[in-house]
Amino acid sequence: MSGSFYFIIVGHWLSTPPVFEMESLPAEKAESKDDHRHLNQFLAHAALDLVDKNMWLSNNMYLKPVDKFNVCFVSAFVTAGHMRFIMLHDIRQEDGIKNFFTDVYNLYIKFAMNPFYEPNSPI
Amino acid sequence: MAQCVQSVQELIPDSFVPCVAALCSDEAERLTRLNHLSFAELLKPFSRLTSEVHMRDPNNQLHIIKNLKIAVSNIITQPPQPGAIRKLLNDVVSGSQPAEGLVANVITAGDYDLNISATTPWFESYRETFLQSMPASDHEFLNHYLACMLVASSSEAEPVEQFSKLSHEQHRIQHNSDYSYPKWFIPNTLKYYVLLHDVSAGDEQRAESIYEEMKQKYGTQGCYLLKINSRASNRASDEQIPDPWSQYLQKNSIQNQDSYEDGPCTITSNKNSDSNLLSLDGLDNEVKDGLPNNFRAHPLQLDQPSDPSNSIDGTDHVKPASSLHETKKGNTGIIHGACLTLTDHDRIRQFIQEFTFRGLLPHIEKTIRQLNDQLMSRKGLSRSLFSATKKWFSGSKVPEKSINELKNTSGLLYPPEAPELQIRKMADLCFLVQHYDLAYSCYHTAKKDFLNDQAMLYAAGALEMAAVSAFLQPGAPRPYPAHYMDTAIQTYRDICKNMVLAERCVLLSAEILKSQSKYSEAAALLIRLTSEDSDLRSALLLEQAAHCFINMKSPMVRKYAFHMILAGHRFSKAGQKKHALRCYCQAMQVYKGKGWSLAEDHINFTIGRQSYTLRQLDNAVSAFRHILINESKQSAAQQGAFLREYLYVYKNVSQLSPDGPLPQLPLPYINSSATRVFFGHDRRPADGEKQAATHVSLDQEYDSESSQQWRELEEQVVAVVNKGIIPSNFHPTQYCLNSYSDNSRFPLAVVEEPITVEVAFRNPLKVPLLLTDLSLLWKFQPKAFSGKDNEEVKELVTSQSAMIGTEVISEFLINCEESKVARLKLFPHHIGELHILGVVYNLGTIQGSMTVDGIGALPGCHTGKYSLSMSVRGRQDLEIQGPRLNNTKEEKTSVKYGPDRRLDPIITEEMPLLEVFFIHFPTGLLCGEIRKAYVEFVNVSKCPLAGLKVVSKRPEFFTFGGNTAVLTPLSPSASENCSAYKTVVTDSTSMCTALVSSASSVDFGIGIESQPEVIPVPLPDSVLKPGASVQLPMWLRGPDEEGVHEINFLFYYESVKKQPKIRHRILRHTAVICTSRSLNVRATVCRSNSLEDEEGRGGNMLVFVDVENTNTSEAGVKEFHIVQISSSSKHWKLQKSVNLSENKDAKLASREKGKFCFKALRCKEKEAATQTSEKYTFADIIFGNEQIISSASPCADFFYRSLSSELKKTQAQLSVYAEKQSTEDAVRLIQKCNEVDLNIIVLWKAYVVEDNKQLILEGQHHVILRTVGKEAFSYPQKQDPPEMELLKFFRSENTTVSSRPSVEQLSNLIKTSLHYPESFNHPFHQKSLCLVPVTLLLSNCSKADVDVIVDLRHKTTSPEALEIHGSFTWLGQTQYKLQLKSQEIHSLQLKACFVHTGVYNLGTPRVFAKLSDQVTVFETSQQNSMPALIIINNV
Repeated sequence: MSGSFYFIIVGHWLSTPPVFEMESLPAEKAESKDDHRHLNQFLAHAALDLVDKNMWLSNNMYLKPVDKFNVCFVSAFVTAGHMRFIMLHDIRQEDGIKNFFTDVYNLYIKFAMNPFYEPNSPI
Repeated sequence: MAQCVQSVQELIPDSFVPCVAALCSDEAERLTRLNHLSFAELLKPFSRLTSEVHMRDPNNQLHIIKNLKIAVSNIITQPPQPGAIRKLLNDVVSGSQPAEGLVANVITAGDYDLNISATTPWFESYRETFLQSMPASDHEFLNHYLACMLVASSSEAEPVEQFSKLSHEQHRIQHNSDYSYPKWFIPNTLKYYVLLHDVSAGDEQRAESIYEEMKQKYGTQGCYLLKINSRASNRASDEQIPDPWSQYLQKNSIQNQDSYEDGPCTITSNKNSDSNLLSLDGLDNEVKDGLPNNFRAHPLQLDQPSDPSNSIDGTDHVKPASSLHETKKGNTGIIHGACLTLTDHDRIRQFIQEFTFRGLLPHIEKTIRQLNDQLMSRKGLSRSLFSATKKWFSGSKVPEKSINELKNTSGLLYPPEAPELQIRKMADLCFLVQHYDLAYSCYHTAKKDFLNDQAMLYAAGALEMAAVSAFLQPGAPRPYPAHYMDTAIQTYRDICKNMVLAERCVLLSAEILKSQSKYSEAAALLIRLTSEDSDLRSALLLEQAAHCFINMKSPMVRKYAFHMILAGHRFSKAGQKKHALRCYCQAMQVYKGKGWSLAEDHINFTIGRQSYTLRQLDNAVSAFRHILINESKQSAAQQGAFLREYLYVYKNVSQLSPDGPLPQLPLPYINSSATRVFFGHDRRPADGEKQAATHVSLDQEYDSESSQQWRELEEQVVAVVNKGIIPSNFHPTQYCLNSYSDNSRFPLAVVEEPITVEVAFRNPLKVPLLLTDLSLLWKFQPKAFSGKDNEEVKELVTSQSAMIGTEVISEFLINCEESKVARLKLFPHHIGELHILGVVYNLGTIQGSMTVDGIGALPGCHTGKYSLSMSVRGRQDLEIQGPRLNNTKEEKTSVKYGPDRRLDPIITEEMPLLEVFFIHFPTGLLCGEIRKAYVEFVNVSKCPLAGLKVVSKRPEFFTFGGNTAVLTPLSPSASENCSAYKTVVTDSTSMCTALVSSASSVDFGIGIESQPEVIPVPLPDSVLKPGASVQLPMWLRGPDEEGVHEINFLFYYESVKKQPKIRHRILRHTAVICTSRSLNVRATVCRSNSLEDEEGRGGNMLVFVDVENTNTSEAGVKEFHIVQISSSSKHWKLQKSVNLSENKDAKLASREKGKFCFKALRCKEKEAATQTSEKYTFADIIFGNEQIISSASPCADFFYRSLSSELKKTQAQLSVYAEKQSTEDAVRLIQKCNEVDLNIIVLWKAYVVEDNKQLILEGQHHVILRTVGKEAFSYPQKQDPPEMELLKFFRSENTTVSSRPSVEQLSNLIKTSLHYPESFNHPFHQKSLCLVPVTLLLSNCSKADVDVIVDLRHKTTSPEALEIHGSFTWLGQTQYKLQLKSQEIHSLQLKACFVHTGVYNLGTPRVFAKLSDQVTVFETSQQNSMPALIIINNV
């Protein structure tokens, strides 16, 4: 069970679909969780409320785990443009996740600079 | 947390009320049973005091109790079973559903607008039932019995005896150790004696006397006479009496039912109250059957021995649940309290009041006082003692604490009379009478004691109640100690493992927190208590938590949704399907359309399933539909599962209403705008040599360019048919309607001709879809043959194959994510209006392994497997939106769409139908090659056909031959190895001179006024009978340009009968011809200088023809032979060949070039005179031994066609030019003399080796010569693309096109030639001057009179001329002025004088010419002729 991650980027409007979605499972569990893919979405979606609340309380873009459901932690990162990166993980590993978020942020900025990319559209 | 009916300040006191037991004699019970109520139930509606009550607390302070409620219940000697409680709660929740017309609150949070029902009555009733059904426990006394009502009836034989019996019974229950369960507050319970009196039946006197007796025995405070049943129950209950029991009714019945089900553990009080077992059966019967047997005539008959089945013994407790359900149902019709009047109600109310005032409260007051005194007296001592012992032992025994702790949690620590419990007892009592101040302090003390003793269960209870009472304190002197609650909950849950208590604690705490708007804390509490052991509780709590989230100051919508989902999940696990569905639906509002597709799919799927199990099939279908129609990210297996589920549900729906309209299916997608409709038969495949006309078919892609071409062709032919005018109601015929065609009108279809509809399906799923029995759905309004419309519009839908035949595709497989078109046919057999509505099919999928490999492409081999899979029948409509209108301003500003009628054809009467076949039609030709083919016209309809015409943009490509008699064999089979030309064998002697014939262009269909593109087909009878066929020869000439040519033919034909709707029909054919290079012919014409022509008066010309074999690539072509060169002109003709090459046949091997030179003459004047202007003279010069008659078909045909197409081109160029010049005839005249209209036809044969056979191909090339001296080509030269010009930013100066003819043109006005001896011998030594006669011939080339000035003076300005050694002089007149008539030749005799020998140039005379009617304008020009050299020799 441990070592699975789920990462999603959500645009800053409520009504837009998720911009990017990715799931990473430990190799041996690749198939078994197939039925529960929607659970990740549920969790990430529910955590948005807390992300929206917490982002005004912190100066950092990286918000520590904002939510927790059973064994699942939800970490978040809010960019300056209020794009919300959300990561579901089941092991505490703040540094790694923070670095990951920063890397993704860099990539995202590069991507968003593309004149042909329309903000908030799925990547 | 959702809004509740009760506020928390009401809720908590109502949840903890003084409990009173009721013990009835069987006779008393019988009296109440008449009302279908037990005694406890009878009192229930009146158990709340309406007035305020006063009591004194231990400190003698007056304390006011408001709204006190007491709970009277029958004694139940067994603690309720957890299973029973769970069942009860379950039923309560499922019994309480949201009201139908409940107005939901609309909450707007951010982007979300949510409809949320603000109240959750199921939760409230759950909570109420839960709190009421709490089993009494030892660590608290809140629901222990404070008092006991002993009830006997006045009708009993010995009521007083009965009372003492009951009293004993109560005592036995309380103090006998056999009965552990009904907990009693204090040992000496208050006994209250109630005498029930039936007013309608009993003797009032007796009751009064008994009451008096009782009063004496028990004191006025301790007994009561309750009169009920003031009227007989058998009276019709027409009087409307309020039924205060109804609100308790359902719950009670459920409770009763439960008690039955749990059988052995529930024993009603009366069972124990009567020691004699005889009555037991009857009573049991009564209680048990009271409800089921309520339809009996009169309740009084209950006394009679009831049916044996019920009287056996207690075993019948185990009744099947079904009969109990019936019981419950039957129960709803019962009127409770039927024997009670309003006065009786008042009496009962009075009784309760009396009981509380006189009996209960004083008892409580007394007890509190006692307890208080006890405590006060014991305080000092016990406290010090306790603490001392504590200190004494605890100091040394710290490690034992943990053991102690463990023991405390499980077992009972304190004996019932322990002082710590006394505090607790007092606290509880105070709490019950709403004395919260005192209660709090007591709880607080108790808590400390318990904590000191590590009695965790007790401590938790005290903590909980302390917190509650602190909250309830009037004026709230201290804040609500939430941490007390938290500790209590934690203790209950973790240490005591008592979820029920923890739950109660949470419910109370959450409610309190909610009242303080601490929603997030409440939510956290609620969520914390969700656990695996009870799904129902978890579900309810999660739902409340969700409501907390939405009620927060900034609503957390998504949290709400998430917890709703969780609650729904738990509900479904708990079997509460309706609640589950409701939760999912509410959560759906948040997720809908937000792109969280997996989540949305899951919700939809669950909604679908739940709806299905609840038989809400429509909802189920629409939910499943949602999953399928959206672009899904689900895996293929998941999609397959969704689809199967959907089909299954759908099948059930359709089975429910088999006769209903067919349901609309969501899959596969139909791209309705891509629908194409085709009218007519399918194209026949090529049949041997026969090749059918391509016409129109669905296989052709739409090409706007070609459709425009076809349209133009049709317009052309229609214009020709209608004498040059296109009728205003003309619309191009459309056989294939698609999204590009003009669909604003109803298309016309002909009866008995099939209509094919192509429907574009797309499968969005990763699972293959199988459609079976796919056919079109249509509506038809037949039209009577009489012509007038049927008044009652009969609408036939499908199935009527007499009118319209429908083709059914039995299997149609669409693979995963595939787009596929299906072609469906209709066969109209009747005229009328047809409307194609949609498609109808069975939707199914392929089971098992087929989905995995997905190769099921061959429908045939899977037939067996297909039929196994499930399928549902349904339809999908085809609705096509027309184009957006954009004509008027209104249409531009708004978005409006025009109609699209492509699916609404009108079936019209029969029309002829033509089929055209081409026989021997080549696919490859050499440029200019002539090939003969045959065309077969077949009329396949039942109507005669007329007016057949063919139109093409390339009329020079083909011909049907002229009007001249056709000599070639008519049938294609006879034409093998026969030349396409009409030939005549000639003797070889005549080869150098031309054979002349003439033909008129009108004969070949090339007139001035008619359009050359439209060619009437020479049908033998001009009418083609039904079923008849005609074969006609057709000559083809390979286009002059090499490459692939697509040539469009449009056949036009009409019916013999005039039809109002369809005037004509068309048939299209596109021929594809690949041409390869053959010969390249270039020709020039120049004036002959020789004038000594005997016959040619008007001058003669030399024609040079260069023929080059440019065919290099074709290995098969060996060589070309030029067999004949013909001229065709109105004014000129070829006379003879000038250079007689040895190569008689004029062979040209690859890349060889041959040159021919011919002499051309002007036609004789008399010939010209007899000729009409359109008559062309053909002159043939033959190189072989066969003459091809160039003035006959097909040679002349092609000549005329190419000529006319050439003319067209040049006319277009000239038209501008000519217009300008027309004003100046003079210039034209001058130009004219430069023009020549000589056309050269080169006829050739090519020897081709193909498949070891030698073939001879024939062909012809045309060169059109217009200008003297200018080279002309057989095929249009490729023009270099104009170089890109620099962009000019200034206006170009208006270059005036000089209206003056160019020098060159003028120089051709007069042709001069000098005639002289080439060498002249003159003896200079004899005569120093040598005179040579020179003749100057002047010939006028123009048609006008020309003034000519001949100037002989030397005027050479060039320096070279000066250097000429020794010049000569002209003698005699040095200037001549002449006037030359049109085409006149004049000779001038000149004399040249030489003085030396040598070579001289005689070309010095300068000739000026001007048109005689012009004044001076053009007086210029001279003949720049070749040097005319003369050699003067000295002899």
